Amino acid sequence: MKGFIALILICLSINTYAAEQAEQIFKKLAPSLFQIRLIDNASGEKSSIGSGFQINGQGLIATNYHVISGFARHPNKYRIEYLDHLGNKGALTLKRVDVVNDLALVKREAGVNMPFFRLAEGVPHKGEELFSLGNPHDLGMIVVPGTYNGLKKESFNDKIHFTGSVNSGMSGGPVVNQNAEVVGINVATSGNQIGFLVPHDKLVALYQAFQTTDDISIAEQISQQLSKNQQKLIDTMLSSEWQSKQLGQGLIPAVDVPFVRCWGDSNADKSDALILTAVAHCALDENTYISSKFFTGNLEMEFRYMQAKELNASKFYHLYEQQIRRAGPGNKATKDDVSEYQCHHDIVSPTDRDINSKTVFCTRAYKQYPQLFDVLYLSASIDKNQQALISHFTIAGVEESSALAFTRKFMESVSWK
Amino acid sequence: MEIIIEEISRGHKLLSRHKLDQSRVSIGRGYQNDIILTDPHVCAKHLNLEFNGESWLAHDEDTVNGSYLEKNKQSVNQHTINSGDIISLGKSQIRILFPDHPVEESLAFSPFESLINFMRHPAMLLTSISLFSLVAGIVFYLNKPVEVTFTQLLVPAIGMTLLFALWPLLIALISHLTKNDARVWNQLGVCFAFFNLMWLSDVIESILDFNLSANWPIAGLITLLPIALAFVLFWLNCYIGFHMTAGRRLAIAASLTTLLFGGSYLIQLSNKPDFSIHPQYNATIMTPGFLFSPSSDVDSFIDDSRRLFGKAQKAAAEK
Repeated sequence: MKGFIALILICLSINTYAAEQAEQIFKKLAPSLFQIRLIDNASGEKSSIGSGFQINGQGLIATNYHVISGFARHPNKYRIEYLDHLGNKGALTLKRVDVVNDLALVKREAGVNMPFFRLAEGVPHKGEELFSLGNPHDLGMIVVPGTYNGLKKESFNDKIHFTGSVNSGMSGGPVVNQNAEVVGINVATSGNQIGFLVPHDKLVALYQAFQTTDDISIAEQISQQLSKNQQKLIDTMLSSEWQSKQLGQGLIPAVDVPFVRCWGDSNADKSDALILTAVAHCALDENTYISSKFFTGNLEMEFRYMQAKELNASKFYHLYEQQIRRAGPGNKATKDDVSEYQCHHDIVSPTDRDINSKTVFCTRAYKQYPQLFDVLYLSASIDKNQQALISHFTIAGVEESSALAFTRKFMESVSWK
Repeated sequence: MEIIIEEISRGHKLLSRHKLDQSRVSIGRGYQNDIILTDPHVCAKHLNLEFNGESWLAHDEDTVNGSYLEKNKQSVNQHTINSGDIISLGKSQIRILFPDHPVEESLAFSPFESLINFMRHPAMLLTSISLFSLVAGIVFYLNKPVEVTFTQLLVPAIGMTLLFALWPLLIALISHLTKNDARVWNQLGVCFAFFNLMWLSDVIESILDFNLSANWPIAGLITLLPIALAFVLFWLNCYIGFHMTAGRRLAIAASLTTLLFGGSYLIQLSNKPDFSIHPQYNATIMTPGFLFSPSSDVDSFIDDSRRLFGKAQKAAAEK
């Protein structure tokens, strides 16, 4: 019993210790912490809010790209303002963005040697206690303790898995260790104490790029980052092993990369269905936010095997055709962002492959980023009376050469058993 | 001296015709007249026509509403009548003709006539209609994603047939109402034969869509086939149902075709958003038996697809 009480006391003391530490950290860092507000020029009211923190003595502030994306896309419609812990407001200028990692650097006019956050040298160890700072729901600056849980495994671009409440409005706020060094930036939440942070090394890289390279336009920065990231993704996929996997009587590719995750479903339980259908859907678990109506960076692959159960071939094909009529884009975009799709179709049979398919390829171009495209591919087998295999993929924000290289590899990886 | 008097409607359609062999003809609402009109705007004794040995003269009996020549609205009193004159009495009209009035040349039977009669032959008519119902049934069968019984197909097939029979029946009704020969069976026979041709053109269109790649934009021309079929059908409807000049028949058939296809095109156009987020592609597939074209290889498909990127960039730059 004594031991038990002692244990409780130890727990309590750890908690009080953590609370004290949080308080100290908050007091020390509060002057370098800001609420970042996007103000709509026409109405004069704020249209979105987030958090930000100063990272050098000259007034450079780091935040999330999605907090200031409105300004990055429509500089005439908005202005960016900060609000410090004393309630002072001031204007900010946008310096750099990193859309892939959702970071941005903004600058305020500052006196010399303002206090600022130091960026950590190394990565935290698993289980280390961290403190997330930010202004959730416009309620005022708070500090949230939590735990470092390593990098998210399925991420193509690293994200820290942080066990602690990251709420909207805290986006762009820093996450510090016990020495008050920044180890990550709040970016997203999956609810229930699961938060995601951008690792601090992404911010270090962006800061270095800001110091060493010349100014280029925000659109140009976004364009380069998207190109580079998608090129890296497709190159990684093409150089990985493509194993053949069976789906019904068909063979489909299974790409051995951790960041593309697959899910499956079938209607084998429906005894009255005329057609047995099995679906495998694989997709990248992340995408890149450009604006609230424009996302890119997606990649998805879908395979569908269909087998007629004592069904007339004409009827089978009629129902099968309805399955391939309405393929749509894999990412959200509006007519301000992309052109309409341009499509090509043909009957294609890859050499040395036992399959003949009606194949459709469509692409649309990005209006602001001229070398980037969304592509959509759909192929439906037409050589068996009672079986069908549909293979489909979409990739968003990709260059022509990568898109075609991927298409070729994909086409040559699908066949009948 | 013989005289022919035709009672005609305001649209100059013949209502009745009288041939009289006497030198004096009286026209009016009274029962003592040679020609009795029922129009209440006509007087009991309205108009007298008299042959003076050389020509016919008209004499109005000082009536309430008068008698006028249609062509120049002049009073007909003491007017020397020419063959073909139309006289208005009250709200009625009569046309006066003499035996030597020229008639139009006889019309030869159109080559369509034998075709039309062939289509109305009971055996042919039955075949057309049953074929139509059969195809309608098959279409319902193909579109149902669940198993269906024969009786479940019977209702939509018959319903569809009855629905499509409304058009020829409507035309026949209009013919009848406009004092033409209704010729219901001819209309039915011709319409169903053409409806079946439309099914056929659908199948041909599907086969071409299925077989030809996007490198053959000519496949789009096949959509002209149903338009041509509809035009011919409307032309035949007019030919069977109404007496009219060839030019007028062409104009009516063309207008109906434009109304049908232009109308549906306009509806499509107005429903079409100015920007479509969904790709528009050809997804026609048919059973392997309908595949005639050779397959391309991956290289040529990739080459064809490569061209789309430039097109998409151009489209992006436009708007």
